[in-house]
Amino acid sequence: MSLAIPNGLDNTVEQPGERAPLVLGDTTYHDITEAVCQVAERKPSTSWVIGFLISFALLQWLGICILYLIYTGVGVWGNRSPVFWGWPIVNFVFWVGIGHAGTLISAILFLFRQEWRTSINRAAEAMTIFAVVCAGTFPGIHVGRAWLAFWLAPYPSLNLWMWPQFRSPLLWDVFAVSTYGTVSLLFWYMGMVPDLATFRDRSVNKWRRMAYGVLSLGWSGSSRHWMRYEKAYALLAAFAAPLVLSVHTIVSFDFAVSQVPGWHTTIFPPYFVAGAIFSGFAMVLTLMIPARKMLGLENLITIRHLDNMCKIILATGSIVGLAYGTEFFIAWYGQVQEEKFAFTNRAFGPYWWAYWTMVTCNVISPQLFWFKKLRTTPWMIVLVCIFVNIGMWFERFVIVVTSLSRDYLPSAWAYFSPTWVDWSMLIGSFGLFFTLFLLFCRLMPVINMAETKATLAKQYHVSNDGDH
Amino acid sequence: MFRVRSGQETTDASQAFYNCELMSENNEKKVHGVVAEYTSVDTLLSACRRVRDAGYQKTDAFTPFPVHGIDKALGIKPTVLPWIVLGAGLTGTATALVMQIWMNAIDYPYIISGKPFLSLPAFMPVAFELTVLFASFGAFFGMWALNGLPKFSNPVFTDPRFDRVTDDRFFLYIDSKDDQFDRGGVEKLLGDTETDYVQTVVDDDSSDKVPKPFFMMWGLVVGLSVIPLLVVLKMRVSHSSQPRFHVFYDMDFSPAKDAQQYSTLFRDGRAMRPDVPGTVARGEEQANLNYMTGIDMEALTAIDPSRAERLVRRLNPYFQGETEAAQELTDDEAAEADKKGSGEEPEDSSPVAGKQSASKAEASNADENAAAPEEAKPSVMETTPWLDSNPLVLNEKVLADGRKNFGIYCSVCHGMNGSGNGLVNVRAQKIISPDWIQPSSLHQETLYADKYPAGKLFSTISNGIRKMPGYAGQIKTRDRWAIVAYVRALQLSQNASIEQFKDMDDSERAKVLQEQADVKKALKEKADADAKAAKEAKEKADADAANAST
Repeated sequence: MSLAIPNGLDNTVEQPGERAPLVLGDTTYHDITEAVCQVAERKPSTSWVIGFLISFALLQWLGICILYLIYTGVGVWGNRSPVFWGWPIVNFVFWVGIGHAGTLISAILFLFRQEWRTSINRAAEAMTIFAVVCAGTFPGIHVGRAWLAFWLAPYPSLNLWMWPQFRSPLLWDVFAVSTYGTVSLLFWYMGMVPDLATFRDRSVNKWRRMAYGVLSLGWSGSSRHWMRYEKAYALLAAFAAPLVLSVHTIVSFDFAVSQVPGWHTTIFPPYFVAGAIFSGFAMVLTLMIPARKMLGLENLITIRHLDNMCKIILATGSIVGLAYGTEFFIAWYGQVQEEKFAFTNRAFGPYWWAYWTMVTCNVISPQLFWFKKLRTTPWMIVLVCIFVNIGMWFERFVIVVTSLSRDYLPSAWAYFSPTWVDWSMLIGSFGLFFTLFLLFCRLMPVINMAETKATLAKQYHVSNDGDH
Repeated sequence: MFRVRSGQETTDASQAFYNCELMSENNEKKVHGVVAEYTSVDTLLSACRRVRDAGYQKTDAFTPFPVHGIDKALGIKPTVLPWIVLGAGLTGTATALVMQIWMNAIDYPYIISGKPFLSLPAFMPVAFELTVLFASFGAFFGMWALNGLPKFSNPVFTDPRFDRVTDDRFFLYIDSKDDQFDRGGVEKLLGDTETDYVQTVVDDDSSDKVPKPFFMMWGLVVGLSVIPLLVVLKMRVSHSSQPRFHVFYDMDFSPAKDAQQYSTLFRDGRAMRPDVPGTVARGEEQANLNYMTGIDMEALTAIDPSRAERLVRRLNPYFQGETEAAQELTDDEAAEADKKGSGEEPEDSSPVAGKQSASKAEASNADENAAAPEEAKPSVMETTPWLDSNPLVLNEKVLADGRKNFGIYCSVCHGMNGSGNGLVNVRAQKIISPDWIQPSSLHQETLYADKYPAGKLFSTISNGIRKMPGYAGQIKTRDRWAIVAYVRALQLSQNASIEQFKDMDDSERAKVLQEQADVKKALKEKADADAKAAKEAKEKADADAANAST
């Protein structure tokens, strides 16, 4: 059952009349199982242990900062009049944006029958969920009295005797992000059940077998089950695709529905969605390239996968750049004094450094992906992607802080300065993200084995019969 | 499924057949069906087709990944899952719309930017989200329910070889419930396909019970998690004399410091901040009680200690301010009026204490300026030891301030010259206002300094009299004294006698006297002429009346 594809073949070259292989090496079904399961079954590597300890320490630091915040009050942040949103909301939008790539890869690429998604979708979905966890943390503590955050929910309250206000985008946001988190979790978990069954069946340890047995719900691989499963998967993908677009649209409504100069623009929804996909793919690549190296998955996550994702980054990065330009054009063309000022102030005001960092990272750096050499050299991809992530964080900073610090009332203008708690929470949120991701790498199947095997089966079929 | 597999793998078909024979001979276990193993999709599919063509219906294939075309090869019908999902999605839409309309348009209507209470466009985002959420729940839970999962005990799992179904092996299974099922025939049919392993599926003899430690852990977790709930429940229904237990303080307790407490915020360690230099604290000036009240407090203490004490007590708490003290005085006046049994204002200011019976006072009080000629018990106003002189050092500035404030506050009724004919009075006369009382002229002898001491005038300005309200709340103490000074100057300007101008030279004096005499003469002539005209007019009218009657 070995394949006639030599190891190390360049699968980024398009050959007429043939699909480029997505699984490389003399790979069999069993090899895929082995390759993915050994990640979780062997002893953790030193690099994993070190990475986990660092992430876990940062997570603890985040926890301490949150306790300090709750005990002391939101004054520990740099949020001062008139910038009351500050870093917590910057971080929220940043993480929600990152959380868009996973579901996009899983749902939209699935609907478009892009088979190269199969070996990256699992990790991307996991990343989505962990990013949404990070994102959800910030509004939860930004409400001030975090222990009353449940007031956001529409429940019949005996203390308040009132209902939430459903005309507010902030409440839509609660529904959008929680729906997105829930559906992503269902999608991710459902996709994992057959692979968890593989883990179960390979377990020799009684407790491990029991834990994976419960998680895999007694999956047997029955054809009838597979048929309903595939139907459910397709339906979930069909819902998740508009959902992923709706979530960042609604996040952008938080800004666009208000009347703050620089926020009150109709371009925000598409601009935010493009930015979210842009930052999400950059984060996927930042994580996957070291992971594929460390976990030995180069034959499953191939250069072609990386190449394709770089092309998406190039496309969305260009959309984001166009959006920046359009904003300026509309500010000038609209001839509203405050809008004109808001945008001039962004580029040349007190936060000029943030604006130009953003432009450099988001508009200029992805343009390097026009060169194939860059798209196929992993370390260069990581470098560009890290720049993109920095740039996207700054984009949210520029939007939130420059607009709020210079709104209609000049007497209220002020310069925003973050405190050590702001810094700690940003860094700590990466600790939360990486802790969850590293645990996922150890405990869960990092690659969708069943789907990859199905891709391989198709590839095998094609190379043997040649008539499909 | 929780049992640990022994790992004894039966690899060849004959051994499998032998096992089957053994079991059926012993007849110990129920046979569920027969399973065959394949190593590729193609061999599985061709076997499926053969089994289907042989007429078997209760069949199933087990594969490590979804194999396309197997539903046809096995004759599997499409699933109803999409309909479940449609129903769930529509439920989500309906739930969201009903919820939002009920909450924001009916039960607790919000007015937002003048939009209608039921504004569907604003309800769309949440409706979309809940549609997706419910539909996803429908797809997720519907799929597991239709698949009969979770199900942790499955006869096919009894075969250790079946573990590879999630790795790289494909299995075809024929259930014993199939109408055509016949063990020998099925085994033969499957044995003829491209397989090298056929096995009978029998009852799982391993325990499918959940291990004890699991239950113990579960019990422990449930038990511990119930404790806080019970504590909360008990606290909700029971009463306690202890203060409420605060998990979070919210804003129930203020961290504000008390006056004499220590504070780390300031370098001097005092919580209470000293006044900024030059500050006049509210009530600070009240230390000078005479100045504040216009009364000689020492004298008052000698006459009526309890009243003096009341006044001091009223003035002392600085935050109660001057108006409280003013109230004290008006209270006294009101009490006086009550004592007289009069609904009208107390008798005005006449220091010539008249003896007046209550009933007569009531009758005569209609004329506000009428002096009380008859004997009565001396009123509080009369016995009060008023200050005789203005406590301010009089100079041009004080008079100018008094003039300014008189112009602002007093002149509207009393007139710029104090004659009692200000703009309000003119207007009231013009419209014949029924409840208007003419303001006093300030040029009556009863209001001169010898009869109406400065302190009393100050008190009247501060506390009001008859229809006139007190001005303590509007005019500063110092400015009220300045008004007193200006009123004195005004009185002098209208009623000075020539004798008061001692440094006037004789020719000037003669000239003034001459002018006075001229004015008097002119006035007398005018008065005579008026009287004559009136008399003629009357005579004429009488004559007319007489003519008319005759």
